[in-house]
Amino acid sequence: MTDHLSHVILNALVDGELTPDQLASADRHLAGCPTCTSYALNQSLLKAATAKAGLRYQPPPHLKERLARLASQEGSRAQSSGFAPASISPRRSGWGFGSLGWVAAAVILLASVSIMLVQRATQRAEIASVEHAALITEVFDQHVATLADNMAPQVVSTDRHTVKPWFQGKIPFSFNLPQTLPADTALDGANLTYLGDQPVAQLLYRIGRHRVSVFLRQNSAEAETKPFAAERAGFHVMDFSANGLEGVAVSDVDPARLAELVSALKNAQAGAQPQSK
Amino acid sequence: MPLLPSLYNLAFWLSRNAADAEDLVQETFLKALRGFASFEPGSNFKAWIFRILRNTYLTSRTGLAANRTVALEDELQAGGEAGPAAYPEAAIDRQTPEMNLLQMADRAALQAAMETLPPALLEVIFLCDVEEMKYRDIAIALEIPIGTVMSRIARARLALRTALAAQHMLSRESRA
Repeated sequence: MTDHLSHVILNALVDGELTPDQLASADRHLAGCPTCTSYALNQSLLKAATAKAGLRYQPPPHLKERLARLASQEGSRAQSSGFAPASISPRRSGWGFGSLGWVAAAVILLASVSIMLVQRATQRAEIASVEHAALITEVFDQHVATLADNMAPQVVSTDRHTVKPWFQGKIPFSFNLPQTLPADTALDGANLTYLGDQPVAQLLYRIGRHRVSVFLRQNSAEAETKPFAAERAGFHVMDFSANGLEGVAVSDVDPARLAELVSALKNAQAGAQPQSK
Repeated sequence: MPLLPSLYNLAFWLSRNAADAEDLVQETFLKALRGFASFEPGSNFKAWIFRILRNTYLTSRTGLAANRTVALEDELQAGGEAGPAAYPEAAIDRQTPEMNLLQMADRAALQAAMETLPPALLEVIFLCDVEEMKYRDIAIALEIPIGTVMSRIARARLALRTALAAQHMLSRESRA
């Protein structure tokens, strides 16, 4: 037997993450392969040993007390800011609902609504920040995988008229590639890949000796999203949106030079209408 | 606070000292309290709170330092300079099972091996093996695709076995 189970399958096996079909297939293989059986047993033992070795540090008693105090302070803070009307209303009733009472009630209502709106805006900002973080992680992983794989792109060409048509029928939108690129920048090719379960075009450029991935996808938001820039482990990530498309560029090149490429790509989309197929 | 021991344990593994671990847990706890409205009922609470801990760690002093110095090296070592053979799928390492058994029985040796893991591999193996979380929930907690969870787990276990093997060689040499 020459074809062994992959590491990923063997690990998913010991983690109980294989689908019934994959499990049946792995079982059939293990029945005839002592090497993989031995390896799976080893991985299983390693998993059990890691579970025990990982339980190493216990929280000190004072931490639990401190957190309990903080929870209590947070509770009273929230009560004094967000739910004030309930505690204040009995005192207000002594005013006989004169005009001052109504004014106070209106102010309290307004304050409560404002707090709610601020909280919702904060939540929306947090959700957007989590989505950005997820996107950055995903494009970073894919770009590093592309660098590490050292494999040829799925379409190898420096010609935009070859790269763009290659995506016909593969992605549910169309895009434009810039006719003129910034100095010392060249197109290497492209890959069809996925971001958040959506098909995207991964354009591969080279700026000097630095490799660049630009991921293009349909913009999921109704309005154009606010562009963002980030840095992870020495790589720069720049987001842009234009004409119903969202692009994310990632590279370890100087951010000013990456911005030039991003700008060229953004301008190229100006004349392109995304087409649903 | 039923998850306090788990949060503190991971915080200590990541930050490598008690004071930073306490700060990390306290900040996580406050963020969770203030942002509880953003938690969707029916979704996994454990994944949600570990995600807060992980994001808090990433923006902490120790997290930023670790990410700058270790994570990229690790990503590149996986297949860049060393070539495709370093990829988990490419080849199964065939260490002597007996040697692995001896090493795995040594809790201190395994803890030392875990300490050599970069944060990106340590957190994934911790959530999988110590916290017994499913790949789907780990993906939510770490904000990475499930495919990345699977490849990182494979790489983490490979790295642990390699570190254990290195320790074994060292102890044999010192005995000789």
